[in-house]
Amino acid sequence: MNLVSFAMRNIWRNRERTIVTVCAMALAGSIMIFYGSLMEGFMKVLERNMIQMSLGDIQIHSPGYQNDPDLYKRIEGVSSILAELEQKGFYATPRLFAFGLAASGPASAGVNIRGIDINREAKVTTAYKHVLKGQWLSIKDPKGVVIGRKLARRLGIDLDSEIVIVSQATDGSMANDLYSVKGILKSVGSEIDSVGLFMEIGEFQELMVIESGAHEIAVSNPNNKIPLASATKVVAELVPSYETKNWRELKPLIAQILDTSDAANIIMMTIVYSAVAMVILNATLMSIFERIPEFGVMKALGFSPMQIATMIYTEASLQAMLACSLAIGIGIPPSYYFQNNGLDLSNIGSDSTISVAGVAFDPLWFPILTTSTILTPIIALFIITALAVIYPGIKAALIRPVEAIHHQ
Amino acid sequence: MNKTASPYSIVSLSTVSKIYKQGKIEVKALDRVTLKIKKGEFSAISGPSGSGKTTLLNLVGALDTPTSGSVTIEGIDLSELTKTELSILRRNRIGFVFQAYNLIPVLTAFENAEFVLALQGIPEAQRRRRVMGVLHDVGLSGMEHRKPDELSGGQQQRVAIARAIVPEPAIVLADEPTANIDSGTADSLLDLMQLLNKEKQITFLFSTHDNRVMERAKRLITMRDGIVSADEEP
Ligand SMILES: Nc1ncnc2c1ncn2[C@@H]1O[C@H](COP(=O)(O)OP(=O)(O)OP(=O)(O)O)[C@@H](O)[C@H]1O
Ligand SMILES: [Mg+2]
Repeated sequence: MNLVSFAMRNIWRNRERTIVTVCAMALAGSIMIFYGSLMEGFMKVLERNMIQMSLGDIQIHSPGYQNDPDLYKRIEGVSSILAELEQKGFYATPRLFAFGLAASGPASAGVNIRGIDINREAKVTTAYKHVLKGQWLSIKDPKGVVIGRKLARRLGIDLDSEIVIVSQATDGSMANDLYSVKGILKSVGSEIDSVGLFMEIGEFQELMVIESGAHEIAVSNPNNKIPLASATKVVAELVPSYETKNWRELKPLIAQILDTSDAANIIMMTIVYSAVAMVILNATLMSIFERIPEFGVMKALGFSPMQIATMIYTEASLQAMLACSLAIGIGIPPSYYFQNNGLDLSNIGSDSTISVAGVAFDPLWFPILTTSTILTPIIALFIITALAVIYPGIKAALIRPVEAIHHQ
Repeated sequence: MNKTASPYSIVSLSTVSKIYKQGKIEVKALDRVTLKIKKGEFSAISGPSGSGKTTLLNLVGALDTPTSGSVTIEGIDLSELTKTELSILRRNRIGFVFQAYNLIPVLTAFENAEFVLALQGIPEAQRRRRVMGVLHDVGLSGMEHRKPDELSGGQQQRVAIARAIVPEPAIVLADEPTANIDSGTADSLLDLMQLLNKEKQITFLFSTHDNRVMERAKRLITMRDGIVSADEEP
């Protein structure tokens, strides 16, 4: 007879109770695995949609441009700045922005025209990967533009539709030209979705009569080689006369959501697991209460308090192990399934996109399973079990044989 | 060694009192009891309910401590031992047969009988040999793998006896071992203990209400209100 098989037989004694307890633990564990992977997916999308699809890690602007996006507040000496940034190991891309009106047939809508350097942009952001229909910009086709999905709907246009863009050029003249829609984007962000219009930067310069400069330089810190704060400092030192901000400073609300996601997870876990702890505590107390005479006999025969406590812990650990295997078995398959197929939320969000703090989400939500989304709930389940069993364990360990044996 | 050749007492109680306090009421369960049990004895404690039999056995079994006086087992004063040492002393030197709830329900007859030996850390092969031998002695050969609920009340008590004697303790204490079993079974259980006493010189101390046990005892200690009122060897 060894301790493990002894404990195993003890937990198997009251099958119903053990099964109910283990199921409650497993359910909580699997919910937390699924919830954790959903949150992980949500946070990744939030981060990706914001940084990778449009923002970049760090941005350089002319002083005051952000508060008052004025066509004339431009960064000059762009090519040397880009060269210096690249020399430091960053990727960087210049951008030009202007407001204008897009019209197609009788429909018209305000647009935010974004002139981008196609090759450089692709190294900084991944907007080019998020084309819903058609293609991304191409240097070979400067009159082809890519627009946000809501804008396309508002203008009632589809691929290859012609649109007229009207704006005021820097020389005061009327800027207007005819373009064709080459691509429509998936959800990238609420702003881009509803007013975004991308065109090749050279074409933009021609349209708006801009000789040189950029309104924005977006910088990416490849693979986060340097911590964001130090990377920001390095960039800022290169361009002291301009404003340098990283995405945390640009989007403090989202930075906060991402920062507190762990805390949110912990709160959720605390709530769910507290309920489970009560179930474990109750079940363990009952199982000990039923066995008081038995513990009395064992202690009379020379079992030490420590050995009794060890046995209670072994029984609890065995149940926790069983529960964890079940939790993994129950929690991973749906997470894994939705990780590959997406969880369709199109019934919830209006207009088939969901937007959080200005960052748009695809109606398909993809959970992400990581070692941590699996292990954290499992380890926490063991910890909660250990905590829940402290009191019953001590109670059992301190049973006095004289009273216990006569307890009937 | 037999009992006549052994002059020293296995158990010695000297002016032992035990007072239970229940709120403001004090119950004097034992009142200055002085008693010696020698090796090889087959003694019974009788007396009316509440006379202090169980209390006395608990003190001898190092399960409880006296309010005053001293209890000595094989020359060791129990008041000088720590809790852990008392627990080790119980494990190695005292066999217990309780009235009820004796056996651990999830363990087989073999495992129950083996329990104390396992705690003593005796190697498995040796454990096996000794337990099988003792189970044979108590007439349970072939039932080693049965769980307690697959055994009759008398058979369960036999397992308890086997468990008590297999570590070769100085004394086996049995608190009303026949109280929960029918008279036929009780007789055969008493036969067994008598045989073990005679052939293996195992010292037994019972408490009982049962006349048959008293009749078979070699020494009959009678208690009344916490006092030994008679002590005779019929
Ligand atoms: N834990 C306790 N707390 C308070 N009083 C107790 C306790 N245990 C025993 N007593 C009291 O001590 C006295 C002796 O009890 P004890 O159990 O030793 O009697 P007994 O001779 O074994 O009786 P029985 O034949 O009924 O088993 C009784 O008056 C009993 O009520
Ligand atoms: Mg009694």
